[in-house]
Amino acid sequence: MMLHYFLRRAFLIGFVFVALTVLAFSLSYLFPGEVLNNISGLTDIQPEQRQQLIQYYALDQSLLQQYIAYVNRILDGEWGLSFSSQQPVLSEIIAVFPATLELASYALILSFVLGIPLGLFAAVKADSVFGKLISAVTLVAYSIPIFWWALLLIMLFSLTLGVLPTAGRISVLFDIPTTTGFMLPDIWLSDIDYKSEASQDAFRHLLLPAIVLATYPTTVMIRFTRDSMLAVLEQSYIKTARAKGLSRFEVLYHHGLRNALLPVIRQIGLQFSTLITLAMITEVIFSWPGIGQWLLDSIYQRNYPAIQGGLLVVSCLVIVVNMLTEILHTLFNPLARKA
Amino acid sequence: MILLDIKNLTIELETAEGLIRAVDRVNLTIREGEIRGLVGESGSGKSLIAKAIVGVLNKRWHITADRFSWAGQDLLRLSYEEQRKIIGRDIAMIYQEPSRSMDPTAPILEQLIESIPDSELESSWWGRPFERRKKAIALLHKVGIRDHQAIFNSYPYQLPEGVCQKIMIAMAIAKKPKLLIADEPTTALESTTQAQLFRLLASFNQLKGMSILLISHELETVARNTQTLSVLYCGQLVEAGETATILKQPLHPYTDALIKSVPEFQPDLASKQPLYALPGSIPTLQHLPIGCRLGPRCPNARKECVKTPVLDRLQNHYFSCHFPLQGKK
Ligand SMILES: Nc1ncnc2c1ncn2[C@@H]1O[C@H](COP(=O)(O)OP(=O)(O)OP(=O)(O)O)[C@@H](O)[C@H]1O
Ligand code: SF4
Ligand SMILES: [Mg+2]
Repeated sequence: MMLHYFLRRAFLIGFVFVALTVLAFSLSYLFPGEVLNNISGLTDIQPEQRQQLIQYYALDQSLLQQYIAYVNRILDGEWGLSFSSQQPVLSEIIAVFPATLELASYALILSFVLGIPLGLFAAVKADSVFGKLISAVTLVAYSIPIFWWALLLIMLFSLTLGVLPTAGRISVLFDIPTTTGFMLPDIWLSDIDYKSEASQDAFRHLLLPAIVLATYPTTVMIRFTRDSMLAVLEQSYIKTARAKGLSRFEVLYHHGLRNALLPVIRQIGLQFSTLITLAMITEVIFSWPGIGQWLLDSIYQRNYPAIQGGLLVVSCLVIVVNMLTEILHTLFNPLARKA
Repeated sequence: MILLDIKNLTIELETAEGLIRAVDRVNLTIREGEIRGLVGESGSGKSLIAKAIVGVLNKRWHITADRFSWAGQDLLRLSYEEQRKIIGRDIAMIYQEPSRSMDPTAPILEQLIESIPDSELESSWWGRPFERRKKAIALLHKVGIRDHQAIFNSYPYQLPEGVCQKIMIAMAIAKKPKLLIADEPTTALESTTQAQLFRLLASFNQLKGMSILLISHELETVARNTQTLSVLYCGQLVEAGETATILKQPLHPYTDALIKSVPEFQPDLASKQPLYALPGSIPTLQHLPIGCRLGPRCPNARKECVKTPVLDRLQNHYFSCHFPLQGKK
């Protein structure tokens, strides 16, 4: 039965990838300008090159063959050149993408570490002052626009107090060799002799963007965990477990937690696309050199090959994360296997 | 010794239109070693009473009582936590909805094992997991489940309702309770298994002195398996006493109608002749009549019946009616 499930998932993900690549491929035609320029990324093409390129990109053949050629190039890592820099799009993406992933994963971890315990607490002690306080603060934080919230924090911590930097991942004084693309692991992996200063500096740069980005998912996590736990606590199996003679703690630990937290796994996947969108906004506010900022710059510059590649990567990431959390949820939750 | 003694138990539901009294001043006593039946039509409040005793109703229900004592100890004076402790130790319940009463994401073995209290175990702590498992297997065998291996790793939704009901029974007897409340314990089972489980409960009663409160809407099931009987109509206690006395000479019109509606108790009735039945049907909670709740359906009703009758007694036979039947006397 599980095998069947995985096959179905694999089939679905294959289908989604086909749909995404079809969309990305058609962008070359939909964008203004010449198809040959859009597809190759070359800004000026000499007449004598032209015929050669048309043959290379299979533009003289049917759309289907062009599409197959496109998919082959994508798989070979040949994603065309960026209009603005005339560098390969893929290598630019590889340079900026880890910064986004790093920011998003810290924000996600933060939202878990804060959101789940606070949500559980707000549910178990729903009538206490502290429980009500959590719910109220969560509602406020949930409704704050991220721009306003970011500017507020920048004004307070950077401009007024002057304790935290406002832009970038690390001070330009430090020269960190890239290995993983993630700043903190890169610092630890490098063999520079100012490691601790560099990590501190990177951490101070990270703090504000991570807090700003984590705010929304944390509030979602608190609300979801709280509602989920409250619903579970009303179920008859919780009452009957209590009537068995188990203590309140045992009931919460053995029956409440698992039933309340299993649906949370799926929540990660559902929230991930919002998280990535917010990450892009955060990157712009804090000049964080990630894919969001890069993509927005590309849009301003009408850098079509870059937009095409960037969209493909971001949407694939969202879908893969969605699928993975869904599979994890099925593996862990016996009720999800019911159907 | 009187084990459970409840006086004027009232259970009210909080609704938008105010409190609705689903159970109205019901008395219930259970002695040590007694098997008492609780009968009444569907919706008469039997499960509510049982759940109120074991304390599993949620906050929307308001429960009050003038007396609620357990083995001579007044539980109303104790804190909620202390009440829970005593009841959790001494009273077990078989729930009417077995699959909803089990944790849907925990395998059966885990749920069965946690029903066995530490006090039932003899080995030192390193031997306990093994001993618990052995006990769990024995419990399943007792309720007639042979294939324990397959059951242990299953989740409740994978099992038929009848098997879940047997597992509930196993969990209930695991702690050797002083009182077992069995709420329609065999509805999901076929009749041979039903008889087998009633024999099992009877043997627990005789060997271990376990008292049982047997709840059912079928008078014949209760009559066959109990010594004493309480009859409930629409949240009011209408009659209580020895099962045999009540069957022979009911004092309340409702009990009388209930007995007459069971073919088994009407041997003189020629076949194909319609059984006796009261006109109308049990009112819903939103449209309860004032006074005696049987009033609109009662053949003997007179204008005094708009006042709720108080519980009266004839020796050990309690009834609550202004105009009791005394025809056969
Ligand atoms: N959760 C609930 N919300 C609202 N009303 C309820 C709820 N549970 C029970 N009731 C009502 O309370 C009354 C008594 O219910 P109860 O479950 O005790 O009946 P019962 O005698 O056990 O019937 P059955 O033989 O069907 O189990 C019924 O009228 C029922 O509609
Ligand atoms: S009190 Fe009146 S209405 Fe109620 S059962 Fe007796 S005779 Fe009937
Ligand atoms: Mg019931």
